[in-house]
Amino acid sequence: MASLSLEGIQKIYPNGFHAVKDFNLEIEDKEFIIFVGPSGCGKSTTLRMIAGLEDISGGTLKIDGKVMNDVEPKDRDIAMVFQNYALYPHMTVYDNMAFGLKLRKVPKDEIDKKVREAARILDLDKLLDRKPKALSGGQRQRVAMGRAIVRNPKVFLMDEPLSNLDAKLRVQMRIEISKLHENLGATIIYVTHDQTEAMTLGTRIVVMKDGVVQQVDTPQNLYNTPCNLFVAGFIGSPQMNFMDALCNVKGDDVTLTVGEYALKVPASKKKALIDGGYDGKTVVLGIRPEDVHDSEAFISNSPDSIIKSTIKVYELLGAEVFLYFDVEGTQMTARVNPRTTLRTGDKAVFALDMEKVHVFDKETELTITN
Amino acid sequence: MDHTQELTKALSELKRITGVTLEVPDTGEEVDIENTLSQIRCLCTAYKEKYNKADFLYGLMTGGIPAYDIHGRAARLHISPEERRVLYLLEARNIDDTVHEILKNLFPAQTKTYLVPVTDHSIAVLRPLREGETGQDSRRIARTIVDTLNTEALAQVQIAYSFVIDSLTDLPEAFQETGLALRVGKLFYSDQTVFPYNELGIGRLIYQLPIPLCENFLREIFGPDIPDSFDEDTLGTVNRFFQNNLNIAETSRQLHMHRNTLIYRLEQIEKRTGLDIRLFEDAMTFKIAIMVLNYLQTERNL
Repeated sequence: MASLSLEGIQKIYPNGFHAVKDFNLEIEDKEFIIFVGPSGCGKSTTLRMIAGLEDISGGTLKIDGKVMNDVEPKDRDIAMVFQNYALYPHMTVYDNMAFGLKLRKVPKDEIDKKVREAARILDLDKLLDRKPKALSGGQRQRVAMGRAIVRNPKVFLMDEPLSNLDAKLRVQMRIEISKLHENLGATIIYVTHDQTEAMTLGTRIVVMKDGVVQQVDTPQNLYNTPCNLFVAGFIGSPQMNFMDALCNVKGDDVTLTVGEYALKVPASKKKALIDGGYDGKTVVLGIRPEDVHDSEAFISNSPDSIIKSTIKVYELLGAEVFLYFDVEGTQMTARVNPRTTLRTGDKAVFALDMEKVHVFDKETELTITN
Repeated sequence: MDHTQELTKALSELKRITGVTLEVPDTGEEVDIENTLSQIRCLCTAYKEKYNKADFLYGLMTGGIPAYDIHGRAARLHISPEERRVLYLLEARNIDDTVHEILKNLFPAQTKTYLVPVTDHSIAVLRPLREGETGQDSRRIARTIVDTLNTEALAQVQIAYSFVIDSLTDLPEAFQETGLALRVGKLFYSDQTVFPYNELGIGRLIYQLPIPLCENFLREIFGPDIPDSFDEDTLGTVNRFFQNNLNIAETSRQLHMHRNTLIYRLEQIEKRTGLDIRLFEDAMTFKIAIMVLNYLQTERNL
């Protein structure tokens, strides 16, 4: 397998569209890297530049220390899996997997060995004689993966490979891909717009927006310490609650005022607000739905972080309940215990876990404190 | 190459095309090689014309077959003349055997899809529509072709597709339309790989304008010294400004630039062109001017 280095990678199309800007990333051998971001953020373009399917407008791409900018795609030792995979309809699973190798004139016995090994890894051994139409969606996707595996590439590049599958199958395939990464010990770069896929699969995640890398970190760190408002809002489902708040510093006390509610900032987060000169300025307060509590015990222990509202929607998901309500004109979500007695239309009291609060600069949208 | 070699080559070509093996018997008499070669080549051409579907379709697409002859020749080649089809035209750096093989297997013979080589860099795919298929399916199939060739051949591919044709007589028009879609798409929407014939937007309009008219338009905006292009920074700023619907705050934030710097850059453009691109009308004119400029540059480079 291989390590990759992307130094100042740029993509500018002839029509002037600047799709990727100054992309810098070191990918270690055997890493599972996810490129995530909204549609049009440049994640697929970056992947295609790594594959050689798009010319690199600026910067240097290295695979295992070798500059690859001008190397033909077929000589980069990579394999790709795309969203719109097509299996050859008249060929068996075996032939579908062997086809690419046959085109490369690989000897028959070697093809056979590679196909059978890939089929074993993907649990397709018993389906090798079947035609695509006799396979389920998940099995077809595994065949598509198999076509990449038989090439034994240095790097696997996957561009939204699960987007065409239904929700249940996607969950199954996520597990399969995770297992595959462990079994192959492969370097994988995976593009998705689905943050759940990103969080569950990646060893590190690259969050992109408008062609710019916003943050590169582990899933846990992205969730707990987002570097800006965009990452905070993009990672996590339901997404983080955001409210405009006025920062007030009085002696040693710092409060964030949202309408009629003055929320006391804990000692661990005061310094950044005081040092940053935010007294009297409006900032953005962010809090994850699970850090908005409705339990009496928590509320009585947190008198300085109380908010009140009327429940607009009650959503039971089995193991948890989402409560939707408005605070000062902003919609908020609380993720609470299903034993909650609150229902739609009820007047509710919540307490925010201020230790978990995130504060962002309203103008630059950068994190002030996590 | 001596005559014997040429003869051997011609005979093997004949065998490849027709499956017929011919021999030139050694009778001791002198053979008129030139005449023999000419006859074999004529045989190959005649066979191609009569039996090669790709040859027939290529001739038809490029307007080389008269309308009265279409149905008869199609019938001889077992091509149904009246069937709903879509024409795809794909272009890659090199349409090699690998690309051919992949397409052949993606659309096996029983699907009645015809592959028609056009040039060394392009190939047409004439595919019948299945019952209930819509325009969205045509896009999906185009996407699948691109993704499959990207995956299997690791080839950079761009593809355009036509409207639905009901009869082979519509094929020349579909070929022209698809070729136009590919050219316009590559020129104006170079960040994309699939170009539907009916989604070319303002690119189609500009592409069909006469060059003197384009030059007059540019002279009206930029004065007598029409720039070759704008610098990358200016274009990048303007593009981002347009992408953000002329929103200065959002654009400056995304470009990590102070809003005054952005306003200064926009004012520089106004100084140069007289267009205040903070206003919709001027922004639209500037956008079109940049597209026309790109078009003229490409035309000059060709």
